[in-house]
Amino acid sequence: MNAKQELWAPVIRTKDSIPQIMFDVFLALIPCWLAGLIFFGLPALWIVLLSTATAVLVEALFMRYPLSLKGIFGDGSSLVTGVLVGLILPPTVPWWIPIVGSALAITIGKLVFGGLGNNIFNPALIGRAVLLLAFTAPMVKYVSPFDAVTEATPLLAMRSFDWALVWGNVSGSIGETSVIAILIGAAYLVFRKLIDWRIPVGYAGTAFAVAYIWGLDPWLAVTGGGLLFAAVFMATDMVTSPVNPMGRLLFGCGCGLLTILLRKYTSFPEGVTFAILTMNALVPLLDMLTVPVIFGARRSREQRFATTIAVAVVICLAWGVLAVINRTVPEEVPATADGVYLPLVETLGTDAYATAAINDKVYYFTGAQEAPEKVALVGSEQGYHGPVYFYLVLDGSGRIEHIQILTHSDDPGLGSLITRRSFLDQFIGLDGTELVADVDIQGITGATISSRAVIRGVANELERFQEAFYGSAGDDAAAGYVDGSYLAEASGFGGPVKVEVTIVNGRIAAVKVLEHQETLGISDEAVKVMPQRIAEANSPDVDLVSGATVTSKAIAVAVQKALDQAEVKEPGGSQGLAANVPDGVYRGKGAGFNGDVVVDVTVAGGRITALEVVEHADTPLYAQGAFTQLIPAIIEAQELVDARAGATFSSRGLLAAVEAAVSGAAVPSGGGLAGDLPDGVYRGRGTGFGGEMVVDVTVSGGRIMAIEVVEHADTALYAQGAFTQLIPEIIARQEFVDARAGATFSSKGLLEAVETALTGKEAQ
Amino acid sequence: MGNKTFPRGGGHIPHRKDATKNKPVMAMPAPQQAVIPLSQHAGAPCRPVVKVGGRVKLGQKIGEAEQYVSAPVHASVSGEVVEITERPLLDGTKSMCVIIENDGLDEAEPLVAQDYSRLSVSQIAELIREAGVVGLGGAGFPTHVKVEPPKPVDTVLINGAECEPYLTCDHRLMLEQPHKLIEGLKILMQAVGARQGIIGVEVNKPEVIRVLEQACAEQSYVRVAGLKVKYPQGAEKQLIKAILGREVPSGGLPADVGCIVQNVQTAVAVTDAVVHGVGLYQRVITVAGAAVYDPRNVLVRIGTPIRDVIDFCGGMGNPAAIIAGGPMTGQLVQDLTAPVVKPLSGILVLSKDEISYELNQPCIRCARCIDHCPMGLQPNFLADWSNKGLYDQAERNHIMDCIECSLCSYVCPAKRGLCRSIQAGKQVVRAGKTAV
Repeated sequence: MNAKQELWAPVIRTKDSIPQIMFDVFLALIPCWLAGLIFFGLPALWIVLLSTATAVLVEALFMRYPLSLKGIFGDGSSLVTGVLVGLILPPTVPWWIPIVGSALAITIGKLVFGGLGNNIFNPALIGRAVLLLAFTAPMVKYVSPFDAVTEATPLLAMRSFDWALVWGNVSGSIGETSVIAILIGAAYLVFRKLIDWRIPVGYAGTAFAVAYIWGLDPWLAVTGGGLLFAAVFMATDMVTSPVNPMGRLLFGCGCGLLTILLRKYTSFPEGVTFAILTMNALVPLLDMLTVPVIFGARRSREQRFATTIAVAVVICLAWGVLAVINRTVPEEVPATADGVYLPLVETLGTDAYATAAINDKVYYFTGAQEAPEKVALVGSEQGYHGPVYFYLVLDGSGRIEHIQILTHSDDPGLGSLITRRSFLDQFIGLDGTELVADVDIQGITGATISSRAVIRGVANELERFQEAFYGSAGDDAAAGYVDGSYLAEASGFGGPVKVEVTIVNGRIAAVKVLEHQETLGISDEAVKVMPQRIAEANSPDVDLVSGATVTSKAIAVAVQKALDQAEVKEPGGSQGLAANVPDGVYRGKGAGFNGDVVVDVTVAGGRITALEVVEHADTPLYAQGAFTQLIPAIIEAQELVDARAGATFSSRGLLAAVEAAVSGAAVPSGGGLAGDLPDGVYRGRGTGFGGEMVVDVTVSGGRIMAIEVVEHADTALYAQGAFTQLIPEIIARQEFVDARAGATFSSKGLLEAVETALTGKEAQ
Repeated sequence: MGNKTFPRGGGHIPHRKDATKNKPVMAMPAPQQAVIPLSQHAGAPCRPVVKVGGRVKLGQKIGEAEQYVSAPVHASVSGEVVEITERPLLDGTKSMCVIIENDGLDEAEPLVAQDYSRLSVSQIAELIREAGVVGLGGAGFPTHVKVEPPKPVDTVLINGAECEPYLTCDHRLMLEQPHKLIEGLKILMQAVGARQGIIGVEVNKPEVIRVLEQACAEQSYVRVAGLKVKYPQGAEKQLIKAILGREVPSGGLPADVGCIVQNVQTAVAVTDAVVHGVGLYQRVITVAGAAVYDPRNVLVRIGTPIRDVIDFCGGMGNPAAIIAGGPMTGQLVQDLTAPVVKPLSGILVLSKDEISYELNQPCIRCARCIDHCPMGLQPNFLADWSNKGLYDQAERNHIMDCIECSLCSYVCPAKRGLCRSIQAGKQVVRAGKTAV
């Protein structure tokens, strides 16, 4: 504000000034800030304070404002930018994020353009855009209000509108969650005539309409993310929005359209930032094309033409973006799960997820492995022309939260219809018991085979998930016991505890503690309750009785021993194919029709528990059918079954491979990296791009079962991709694999860390 | 009654009329020496028709208009012509003036009362021209040109809106001389052949509306229209739109939509000119502002130095600015010896608290100037193009349609001199046109 004072007509002027306007906007933001404080606590305070202080200070230094209490604020615009930057950050960000964001917003967002009034883009959004691209993981880590549990934003987590959105009692950025607070701020701004209703109404209205047309919940679309906050406080930024009424309306509509487009088709959970920044770039054009008709003139043909062009530009831009995005939709990608980006961080809501291979399948999950909060996995099923790869996110109980088709090779316009949300959204919220084609899920006319394949594949994966995380379901488990009474004992606190387990109809009918020398009074409860619990659960894996843990445990162990005796001797049992093979995964090779068939055979307890075809060169249509029939048959019979007619060569190849695997079993295929290591978790370190990374490698039975990246300092966008590809590969092959192009340093760091973990040989 | 207004733009600005609106007009004694510029109007300057040393009577023509768009000037005192020389005007520029030493006798030409109902259109126009009547609202456009419009006119509007803050001279005239005003309106209607005459008054002057309605009660073709209080209600095109709903086309004249607009005091002057044959040698001006001790409306002779007028109103203390005209469209007085001229409606002696400076902070594109522009223009862009010399672009975007009401500058939170830049741009565009 070092402008020269001059006296010219008019000699009276409005009392309003730029600092006054900025202060009013600041006041309007206070309800949102308060809402953030209520829901997210102290972080909402210090994040916004840090961002604001940084913005004010950076601008004051660059603009050489006097560093006095009042002078430091200059025209007040840095105050508003700083608060805005803070309010659009998640409440979990580390302390340096608001500082970097504000500094970027003020410098590259505003000052480089020549300061206030000259910037093309909304400074606060520039700050957020850079943060989003550079530090993706912390920028999309949202937590629930009050208890700060990591969770996805309502846009991903919710399926429909909820009144919690109005109060703001949901996860989200600090100032963006409370609709009430935003509307209070909006009312104040409208009352003070600082915003034109056309922008927020056009924005929210268009988003509502587009969401409705595309079958999304329109109320959720408008209230569920940062849309409303942006419509009121960001899109209305005077400097970066059009000056003419018609232009403002179009600007708002364009923002709304783009936001929904970007949310739907990009990997970012929220489209607001890039929607508004894109429209910011169009402002000069909109200004030019929407010049109002002056007094005493009629709307000229040129003006009508210009307005039409302006409307067309906004629509074309939106559809242009859609077209570009469509190009990158997996339809065009070769049908392989490799190289496809998995939106793990976005859908799991955190980058702190674990990766583990269970039953030879890679799962990404949050929470404990015994009680996962969310689990993500990639599944596949044979479609019309080839395999369909899909990506599933389940909640802890196995309900589908998210599903998307990663790749498929079915026909555009027919089989490819399975990528439509209208089809996929039917899966959301269902679990394994609810997946019946044309009952729970409507197939797609013209894509019957493809859509059924997806349903079948998902159902399979849900079953595998249950098995992987919770073991076999209760009924099936007990079916394996032979009726009768079994005795067993285990050592307790005072001596051996002897139990009798009675099996009726394959289930535990009764558990009786026959003898024990446990302390009377203390162990009574355990002796009384544990048998009941075990009988009820049909499993010794029950909660122990507190205060009598040792006795409880002894009872459970004794029951387990008894049950071991009651184990059904499966057909083939000790005489089976793998009867004398130690536990492990074995690889074998056999000649198919076009080349080798390679299989991995998993052996546990002398039985083949899983068969996986790793590689084959046969015609999918024939081979796939053969494999899907033969594999279950082999596992069931525990012997080599007859080849399947119509695919004799493929069948024979498979059988030969299985045989080779089991017979050559002297060398477990897992004799690779961790072949001679005792079970345990090993920690290792390596150097990535941004610094040291730490991994935990879980070894069991001489095989690497899981690799978890405990810590890394690399750019999330690149590193994440490298990790999600490399880790399953290492686990599958049990050997080092090639580094991933594009993230060479992160890959090498990971490999190095795994190596040091295994060679250090220090189990934790 | 009535709340007519123009539809787009406009805004509310402070009135600050209370100090003077209830005080009757007071006649000020003639000055010791009258300085009468030969150019007090829009159009060509006059040729002096008196010689140094010659005697003139009060109301005697001393400058003759030689072109159609021009008006003669008259002596405002009786006495001896002592000098014909260049003297500074209000804006500081110098102009040829006839300087008359007052003999204090006010010896006047005999008055000739006329019955105008028998006069032809051209006779009325000639009487108006002879009396040197020009637009007294501020523009100073010769009135006789206006009463001979190029197209048929059915309505004469009297602009009593007086939407500029501080100014109350029209207000007082309407209250004190309603019959003379209505007489003038009737003369103008006869001159242009109009069927109706309407006096537009902002509804914040209810007593004026009452008085005028009484005065024109028996006239079926003359009436009063109440106008909403909104700036610039008194701008010609906005007034026509508000009262008649007619929109003067871009670049056109009021006659294009069948009407002419005259200021209150001009209509009164027309009555004097046609009925009494008196030349225009005095007018009522408002002297107001917190820095003048006794703000009031004064009837003052043309040619009286500004300083004398202020002294007559008790003198001034600590003025921060002295403005000729209203605070929105007026100009800074550069020289206190400059004389009162015909289009001068007020002298404002403003204190520091009343004024606001131009700061030219960066435009934050708030678009208030666009929202408020009564002409639907984009003042921010027009000013920008003018400042950058992009006059073609400014002209394509109708810079010439700007009515220079200054509302854009008023509402600008960055206190940019928008209207001033646009005025400068208009001058260049206009000069470019005459050059071609």
